[in-house]
Amino acid sequence: MNAIKKGLKSALSWPAHRFAQLLTAERTALVTALLVTVLASAYQVAAPASGLAILCTLGAALALSYAGIKPWLRVVLMTFLLLGVLPYAGTLNPGVSSLMIQMFIYIALALGLNLVVGFAGLLDLGYIAFFAGGAYVYSIFASSQAAKFLPWFAANAPQGLGGWWFWAALPLALLVAAFMGIALGLPVMRMRGDYLAIVTLGFGEVIQVIARNLDTPINITGGAPGIAPIQAPTLFGMDMGQPTSLYYIGLVFVVLTAIAMYRIEHSRVGRALAAMREDDIAARAMGVPLVKMKLLAFATGASFSGGMGMLFAVKQHFINPDTFGFMESIGILAMIILGGLGSIRGVIVGAAAVTLLRFQFLPDLSALSANWGLPSAIDLTKYQPLIFGLILIVMMIYRQDGLIPATRRKENIAALEGPLPVPAGGTGTSVAK
Amino acid sequence: MEEGLRILPQILISGLVIGFLYAVVALGYTMVYGVLEFINFAHSEIFMFGAFIGFEVLMFLQKTSLLTTLPMVISLILTMLAAMIFSGALGWTVERLAYRPLRGAPRLVPLISAIGVSFFLQDAARIIWEALRGNWQLAVPPLYTGVLTMGPWQVAGAPLQLQVPYGAIVIMVSGLIMMFSLIWFVNKTKVGKAMRAVAQDRSTAALMGVNVDRIISTTFVIGGALGGAAGSLFAIRYTSITPYIGFILGVKAFTAAVFGGIGNLAGAVIGGLLLGIFEALGTAYLGPLTHGALKGPEYKDIFAFLILILVLVFKPAGLLGRTVGEKV
Amino acid sequence: MALLELENVQTSYGAIRALKGISLTVEQGEIVTLIGSNGAGKSTTLKTISGLLRPSAGEIRLGGQRIDQLPPHRVTELGIGHVPEGRRIFPRLTVAENLEMGAYTLSEKNAVADGIERSFKLFPRLRERAKQLGGTLSGGEQQMLAMARTLMMKPKILMMDEPSMGLAPILVEQIFEIIAQLNQTGVTILLVEQNALKALDVAHRGYVIQTGEIALDGPAAALRADPSVRLAYLGEI
Repeated sequence: MNAIKKGLKSALSWPAHRFAQLLTAERTALVTALLVTVLASAYQVAAPASGLAILCTLGAALALSYAGIKPWLRVVLMTFLLLGVLPYAGTLNPGVSSLMIQMFIYIALALGLNLVVGFAGLLDLGYIAFFAGGAYVYSIFASSQAAKFLPWFAANAPQGLGGWWFWAALPLALLVAAFMGIALGLPVMRMRGDYLAIVTLGFGEVIQVIARNLDTPINITGGAPGIAPIQAPTLFGMDMGQPTSLYYIGLVFVVLTAIAMYRIEHSRVGRALAAMREDDIAARAMGVPLVKMKLLAFATGASFSGGMGMLFAVKQHFINPDTFGFMESIGILAMIILGGLGSIRGVIVGAAAVTLLRFQFLPDLSALSANWGLPSAIDLTKYQPLIFGLILIVMMIYRQDGLIPATRRKENIAALEGPLPVPAGGTGTSVAK
Repeated sequence: MEEGLRILPQILISGLVIGFLYAVVALGYTMVYGVLEFINFAHSEIFMFGAFIGFEVLMFLQKTSLLTTLPMVISLILTMLAAMIFSGALGWTVERLAYRPLRGAPRLVPLISAIGVSFFLQDAARIIWEALRGNWQLAVPPLYTGVLTMGPWQVAGAPLQLQVPYGAIVIMVSGLIMMFSLIWFVNKTKVGKAMRAVAQDRSTAALMGVNVDRIISTTFVIGGALGGAAGSLFAIRYTSITPYIGFILGVKAFTAAVFGGIGNLAGAVIGGLLLGIFEALGTAYLGPLTHGALKGPEYKDIFAFLILILVLVFKPAGLLGRTVGEKV
Repeated sequence: MALLELENVQTSYGAIRALKGISLTVEQGEIVTLIGSNGAGKSTTLKTISGLLRPSAGEIRLGGQRIDQLPPHRVTELGIGHVPEGRRIFPRLTVAENLEMGAYTLSEKNAVADGIERSFKLFPRLRERAKQLGGTLSGGEQQMLAMARTLMMKPKILMMDEPSMGLAPILVEQIFEIIAQLNQTGVTILLVEQNALKALDVAHRGYVIQTGEIALDGPAAALRADPSVRLAYLGEI
């Protein structure tokens, strides 16, 4: 209730002429935006643990992003929802914060993968490997693991470096993941798209195998049991390890990632990537350095993944190799396919939707079915691979551009690229190979 | 070193056996790739379903105690036949529902759909057999479990003995039969020739009166049947199956197809056999070579991947293939 | 009734309308040529007839039967043989196998052997090359193979798309001689050519196609004499 009061208070303290401006602008949009915000907030605060409430709040945020209202008001209302209502609900029920952090991680991951798949047209099926890289880099040094193979740590920091070192490790994790991206990218960038897919898939498996087995001869990764406990970060002496405070770090990561993606999309690099995706031969003829551009996108996407890996390690307090399986890579792919390849807003929505489904609605439904005494074979939480698979198939057949298609693709390509009237022949277009 | 050499023949045999499985599965990948230029990601799951159908047939034979009364070879044929029919039908269905609507779309589109199908089938198998048998990890009723012992021969002053499981012999013999039948079929029959024509130039094949859709369906049925046969053989030889046996084996079989030259049937066979042998060698000797620092079996799955990268970087056309570069 | 009739046929590539309403007829036993500049819609017309492209409007009839909604293999079965532009030999099938593919729709027992024998009589060069892969043939040989391959199916009408393209002048002469010779044995031919002079010399009637529409039509001799045709397509003044 405090949050609403605070919101109302700030709303009332605006200068009057601003109000006048607003009302003369788009009155219905304004009223709807305010109404949606208030209703969602009230529901969220009244029922913090409800998945439906979170869905409403996020839906309200999405509606705001479309509403025809003044940009500053949009920012204010969204800030109110994301920095006021949701964290407040998190203090009422820590599950909300936990879910939201997970969602932020997935949104950032999906945005990073979207750079690789959606912008650059490279189907990376081992994206989770970079995530694992970032997670391991931090976890090894922020736990007792480093002491097991580095004498300095054994002597000086047997429990590893936590606290503010998190911030120092962040660029390191980004770098390590980017380096992994380049190491994988260099040999594979010249391959055609489907080979690249299978090689990256293999890479993901290899990273998992290495993480599982690099406890001998030197115990670096902790082997199959993994690493625990992992120290929490601090910020100006504040403990940031709790879900309620990690929420803010996650939100900042997501906002920064989204801004970065927007900037990349509208930069020279973004245009070069788009050109390359649509027709790499023409792009090469226009002087786009193909391999360099692909590598850049690949490594940048990888580094986002690495950064989020750190956050994930902090959130979980432990990591093990099983966390970084192929299904995670496909889960993130399903998010961006569902939302819309190349569409930043779409990818965010897709990631949020899949996260909600995985971590809120499926468990809710399972609990429900268990209550009704249904056998555990109908435990819906186990059906995730089936659901991911269905998302991929159904979207490819019925809605290749996703729920919220990227606007840019449509501009000039759709007219020429319509389905050719070829029933049996035709070798297919060379787009996005 | 002496000891290492003495186990070599045994290692080669086990490599050859798994190599035959890779080869038969690789044929399915390479056929579809040859015709559609597309990785049928779901092929590994079609293999896996073959293993589960084979399991069900063997369970039935065991329940009716036919398994002990029928000649073993009849049980084997029944098992393989059922797996082949089911997997062939599954291959047909998958193409019809998930790939055909996407023909002519950008390359990544059917590929993503195929990944979806793969995940869907894997989980579907888990759900089905969990409901059917209460468990998705299943022990396969025994068939051809004996071991043929050869030797001992006196080699370098010590006796050398070879142990070849009957299951391994079954895999090698049926693998050879399937490979040669397929190569004969594709090269000599009318449908086989139409298949090659469709692979080389789809619209011209249509102008010759070839029903391209039907030929593509046929390709999926044959590829699926081979995958199913390989699955049932896997179940017989390795006696324990899960819905997840297809995934890694599929990646390796695809590697074998690329290694031999994608689109080339003989290449897939050679690639599969070589990959099996390399993998067996690596698994056996990595430990001793690193003085025990690295455990060979743990890193087994990495060898195929390394070969894949090396082949794609240095000889993307594969051993027997023609260049399939980006078209310019 | 004409053997082949096109009535107001329209075909589009996505948003681009390539054929804006083509009407033409081919009578039994005729050579009809379709001439026009690059991109006028000549190949599109043939592809639409053979079913590789589906028209958005209009009708195509073969011997009175509608064929415009049929897939290409059905059109072939009904008796339309299409020698595609650029020959499109199957590069990794042997010459003999390429010919066999031409007889794919025939089920009589001896169709393949007889057809191959006929082809070798018509094009003796192919006999020497029978075991070679199609991709290893020269351009002229490939053109011969492409024609022989389509003749294997004993089409009611033979459609040829630029048979002289990229060939040495002496081979061009040969190809046109063979076309005339085929016609004398009763084969109906629809010929698409950029070499308008040669095409009009061999044909009975002709159509001039311009940006997806028929601009002119008439007996070959009349077109040959038409000043606008002479200026635009024959390079004469």
